[in-house]
Amino acid sequence: MAESSQSKSGGKKRPRSESEGDPDADADAASLQSIQLENDLNFTDTAIALQMMKAQFPKLDKVVVRPFILRSQLYSSVKDRTQVDRDLESLKKEAVVRVFKLNTGKDDHAIMFMDDYLAQMENAVKRYDAKDKQLSDVFDWFKQYVIKSKTDVSISHPELCSLLSNGGDVTEKHVTLLINAGLLTRQLIDQNLYWFVIPNIGSILKGLSQGRKELLSLINRTKYKEMVLANLEKKRLRLSPLDIRFHIRDLIGSGLLKTVQSPIGLLIRLSRD
Amino acid sequence: MLEETEDEYLNRCAAAAQDFVDFLDEEDVDDDEYFHRLMVYHKPGGSDQTRTRPVPFPDPTQTVDEPRGVVRVGFITGQVRHEAQRRAGQASPTEQHFVWSRVGFVFRLVCSSRLRRGGREELYMWTWKALNQREDGSLRPSAFRRGVVSSRASSLQLSNAKEFISLHRGAINSLEIDSTEGEGRYLLSAASDGTVAVFDTHRPTSSSSSSSTSIAQHHPLFHLPRAHKFAISRALWYPVDTGLFITASFDHYVKLWDTNSTQVVLDYKLPAKVYGIAMSSIATSHSLIATATADVQVRLCDLASGAFAHTLSGHRDGVMSLEWSSSTEFVLITGGCDGAIRFWDIRRPGTFLLLDQSLSQLGTRPPLLPTPTPSNNESTSLPASSKSSSSTPILPAQKRRSHKKIQLKPPTQSSHPGMASSQNRATAHYGAVNGLRATADGFYLLSSGSDSRLRLWDIESGRNTLVNYEAMSIQTSKPIQLAVTPDSSLVFVPCLASLKAYDLWSGTTINTYRGHYESVNCCFFNAQDQELYTGSNDRQILVWSPSIPAATQIEEADSKGGITSIDQDNWSD
Repeated sequence: MAESSQSKSGGKKRPRSESEGDPDADADAASLQSIQLENDLNFTDTAIALQMMKAQFPKLDKVVVRPFILRSQLYSSVKDRTQVDRDLESLKKEAVVRVFKLNTGKDDHAIMFMDDYLAQMENAVKRYDAKDKQLSDVFDWFKQYVIKSKTDVSISHPELCSLLSNGGDVTEKHVTLLINAGLLTRQLIDQNLYWFVIPNIGSILKGLSQGRKELLSLINRTKYKEMVLANLEKKRLRLSPLDIRFHIRDLIGSGLLKTVQSPIGLLIRLSRD
Repeated sequence: MLEETEDEYLNRCAAAAQDFVDFLDEEDVDDDEYFHRLMVYHKPGGSDQTRTRPVPFPDPTQTVDEPRGVVRVGFITGQVRHEAQRRAGQASPTEQHFVWSRVGFVFRLVCSSRLRRGGREELYMWTWKALNQREDGSLRPSAFRRGVVSSRASSLQLSNAKEFISLHRGAINSLEIDSTEGEGRYLLSAASDGTVAVFDTHRPTSSSSSSSTSIAQHHPLFHLPRAHKFAISRALWYPVDTGLFITASFDHYVKLWDTNSTQVVLDYKLPAKVYGIAMSSIATSHSLIATATADVQVRLCDLASGAFAHTLSGHRDGVMSLEWSSSTEFVLITGGCDGAIRFWDIRRPGTFLLLDQSLSQLGTRPPLLPTPTPSNNESTSLPASSKSSSSTPILPAQKRRSHKKIQLKPPTQSSHPGMASSQNRATAHYGAVNGLRATADGFYLLSSGSDSRLRLWDIESGRNTLVNYEAMSIQTSKPIQLAVTPDSSLVFVPCLASLKAYDLWSGTTINTYRGHYESVNCCFFNAQDQELYTGSNDRQILVWSPSIPAATQIEEADSKGGITSIDQDNWSD
């Protein structure tokens, strides 16, 4: 846990009042001191929060994944949830970030910066060697026509084909190639609709849901179903490659955990309802 | 507590239909003098011997502007409302109750030993200030009333003065108060064991006698034990008067009952179990009952003829919730198990609006002048960063190139604009839509889904306003009943075993009402008295009424800009 927290380019220890509007926060990441989550839990602006959390994304050894942020993490960091939604919507429309619906849990969404997503897509495409080289043009068409114009989380089959056909003739095989490469996936309820997905993220998602369960059971096992945040941060999750800070933010944002001020610091408590 | 004994006295007067003693009879007290000195005197000889001495205002050094008029004070509650109004003059009932409740609070303050903060003096200053402003005309009666109503609505607590004795042996699925003009009095409840009961909310039938508190108990006026064979999902009053009520049940029947004889007058057999019914309260040219069933079609049953009028098809799965528009008598809003919310004009076939959660507006509506819309398929540039999405909600604009190799599914529906919406797969929620409620002004629609989200939609533009209601968990199997205050400030949502009140426009949690043992299914906000009734799986109907000490939260809210609970104690839950 110590080494993974030090490998984050988190930046210096900053009191909460200075965390607003500091755009060269990332550039300042010279020192490798770990900042306490307690001081870093709240931000005032969605864009700043996104930048900071992207910088704190853990380094994974087995899988190469560009940083993504869960929507529930944003909710836990910025006070006003409506403002988060609206800012996210405008960032989506400006194509700065892209939002994906995840299949873990009810309403999980992952937010990724556009350049990260494009880089991830490139990696995935490179790794997946298509047998038929003519079909691999579809990746360029996808990037050029579909990603740029469709900012939603899902797309329907006719619309996908009509957007792709701007590049050339589209057959079913092209769509199959996209699905096999991991860029699209069919929806369970409706065969004609596809979700956009982040390629090669499957193992991390499994880690995400298992890590959530593990963290919740960790707190559940304590006598009063609560734990001091400073102690909780030091623990290491067995089942999840993502670090505990990621999970704490996520669970606070989705309402399963809540933070309580106390004389010894911030407490994390299981919320009952 | 003193508060209770006053109510008890009043209830007794009401039950016996005798005049109450107005503790501040005008002829005995010099009103100006009384208010200026801020002493509250009571006539001895009322039912309460405890109040024979004057009670001083907590801080006698505070000065108050000399009132230029006289505010008539009296008890207003239930039966004696008219009496007091007749005797007291022109002040509206809510004002008077407000004043008396504030005055009554003085006793509690001084006599109780639970004085915690000095902030209560501020309350008096505010209330007396508001009263004085009202007297000299700088505060209009409607503004005063609004302030009182909203402070009462945000200070609800489990009532310790009133309870409903429910004889239901199953989960309570539906609660409704009749919407007759000026008097919302009778509460209709329906349960999973097929029983229906009606309660009178104004007049209690008895009161449990215990030394310190006495709770007015309301037994049902009647209780029908075998109204339906299976669970009743919804019971509605006939919108015009309380002579009829309609029940819908999982045994596929919708029945129309005569209230006085409690007999079935009409019944309609539907093809699948009925999840919900609705009747328009503003309809003058039709008397249609819209029914939401597990079948994909919405059927309209005509009361006048006793037959089905027509069906609305377009949903792809069962319909769980429906609501008539509160501004137009011909518009019906339905929410389906497929997650879609559709608007139907019943005079035309097909849906004219389908709500799509991805179409959003950032608070304000998109500008009236059309922004140049990039065609969906030809553009390779970034989408416009304006605040509105360019695609229309009704039809997915598709252009087909002539030399496509892909065989797209040929459209099987005709090209009628209404029918083409059945191809539109837009969803409003990621799960089933299990609750719909329109605001009283007809501009906004609230929808709750089994994905545990509550969304606020702007009806006119059909877009998601992206207001985020903080974490809630909504039960997924049953339709739930939401409640909105008439001034569109608070929305009450049943979340599993508790009920949460959110601020409608910002989405912050104002209050959580915990009192039920199992999941809450339905809630109804009584706008007349600012009381909330909730029914849940634990077979109880709980009453939540405004409590005076909580009103100090409003004063703190003004100063701090947010409602905080009065005693924030972080060591215990």
